[in-house]
Amino acid sequence: MAAQALLSKARLPVRTLAICAAALLVHFVPWLGQLLIYDRSAIAHGELWRLLTGNLVHLSDAHLAMDMAAFLIAGTMIEQRGYHHFMKLCISAAALIGMAIYLFEPVLQFYGGLSGVVTAAVVYLCLQGMTEQGSWRWLCAAMLAALSAKLWFELVSGKSLLLVVGGGNFVPVPLSHLTGAVVAVILFALLHLSPNFMPRNAARKSAA
Amino acid sequence: MKLINVRRLLLLACSFFTLVLAGGCATGTTKNATSVVDYLFPNTKDPVVTPGIPVLKLPLHVGIAFVPAESSYRGRSRQSTGIFPRYMDGGPALTEERKMGLMKAVADRFREYPFVKDIEIIPSVYLTPGGSFANLDQIRTMYGVDVIALLSYDQVQFTDEGIASLTYWTIVGAYVIPGEKNDTQTMLDAVVYDIPSRKMLFRAPGLSRIKGSATLVNQSQQLRIDSGKGFDEAAKHLIVNLNEQLTQFKEKVKERPQEYKVVNSPGYSGGTGGGAIDPVSLLLLAGLGGGFLWLRKRS
Repeated sequence: MAAQALLSKARLPVRTLAICAAALLVHFVPWLGQLLIYDRSAIAHGELWRLLTGNLVHLSDAHLAMDMAAFLIAGTMIEQRGYHHFMKLCISAAALIGMAIYLFEPVLQFYGGLSGVVTAAVVYLCLQGMTEQGSWRWLCAAMLAALSAKLWFELVSGKSLLLVVGGGNFVPVPLSHLTGAVVAVILFALLHLSPNFMPRNAARKSAA
Repeated sequence: MKLINVRRLLLLACSFFTLVLAGGCATGTTKNATSVVDYLFPNTKDPVVTPGIPVLKLPLHVGIAFVPAESSYRGRSRQSTGIFPRYMDGGPALTEERKMGLMKAVADRFREYPFVKDIEIIPSVYLTPGGSFANLDQIRTMYGVDVIALLSYDQVQFTDEGIASLTYWTIVGAYVIPGEKNDTQTMLDAVVYDIPSRKMLFRAPGLSRIKGSATLVNQSQQLRIDSGKGFDEAAKHLIVNLNEQLTQFKEKVKERPQEYKVVNSPGYSGGTGGGAIDPVSLLLLAGLGGGFLWLRKRS
């Protein structure tokens, strides 16, 4: 009965599933991965879409599994809670992560992975959650504190807590996580400090 | 009496045209060259060096140097024929400044590749003529490089006299009429060697041809200018070829693992970065998801 009640409240996280499906497709169709991966030389020769699509490419099965699991959890919660502008967050985070890597990580020839977008989603979820009342608010605050500590550790030490995902022969890029977090904070700030920034947000505020 | 004068005049005229024709056929060549073969294999009595399988430790430490000219040869030869003397010092050997500029350009090309960690520009004085692999081993010890790009050059300048050189007999013509035809052909060559295995990894040539003309008195200066232009154009061509060869070499290493062994140094990713979620973050997120479901169930 309780499970039925839970299911009745649930709505299908369409956007999250679509992004996961895209990542799966890119991973299992090699030529698609080659076409979409962040490749510094190709970007320099005008293939600018790679700045955005590099986030969908994963460098090993374990890499894909970890990133997709995290994105499924975060994305599902965002969509279940009804937080708006999730797709805008994903696209802007993906594009800015690509640009940040191009500008500040000139040594990296290739980059792939969804974790920067996952970080953006988690930070956005927590910030939105903190505007609500009750236990959810405190859960989100605790998660945000833990995530901030992890980001701080990564930036200061230059290391990653990456222990399991090692099969891909790549170096972790903390800059992607930091950029994702910054994009989420900026989007959240724009929505809340400037209610007219996005029409849907303004409508929601006025309805409240 | 008159007959004698006519004969004298005819003789004078014939001599004049013979001299003019001889002058018109005058040619000269200057050759400036250094050779990688002379540097690496100076003594033919030595047994042939058998290359091993190169073990490329990535990221690579690369050195760049110009091979020196062999001492007996001194990198230059001249040849001149014809009635007018040829001052063929116009085309100097590559100057040290130009060598450094070229090595810097090649180094910049190598730096674009993530598998190259650092580039050492090695001054010519550290390479001894005919030093062979023993000299390269010394450089390897001194600079810590495993791979070296050896640059060499070969420039030949040809000079011929055109029909306009007839005006030299007026003296003024030698100053104002460009009757000297110059042809400067240059080749720069970069050969990349793995020092420990003595194996040539790849090579890239750069070619150029400059044609020009000069007055007789301005010949030396014009030849120097043409020489400089020749090296500049050959360098540009070399850079383009080097880029292609580096890309092809990357593919060759992947396709022929039996010929080239590649070892990654600890912490080297090959220039590949990944945005990956670590297990701690995933556990925290799972905890948040659990809390979300619990709160949802409770409400």
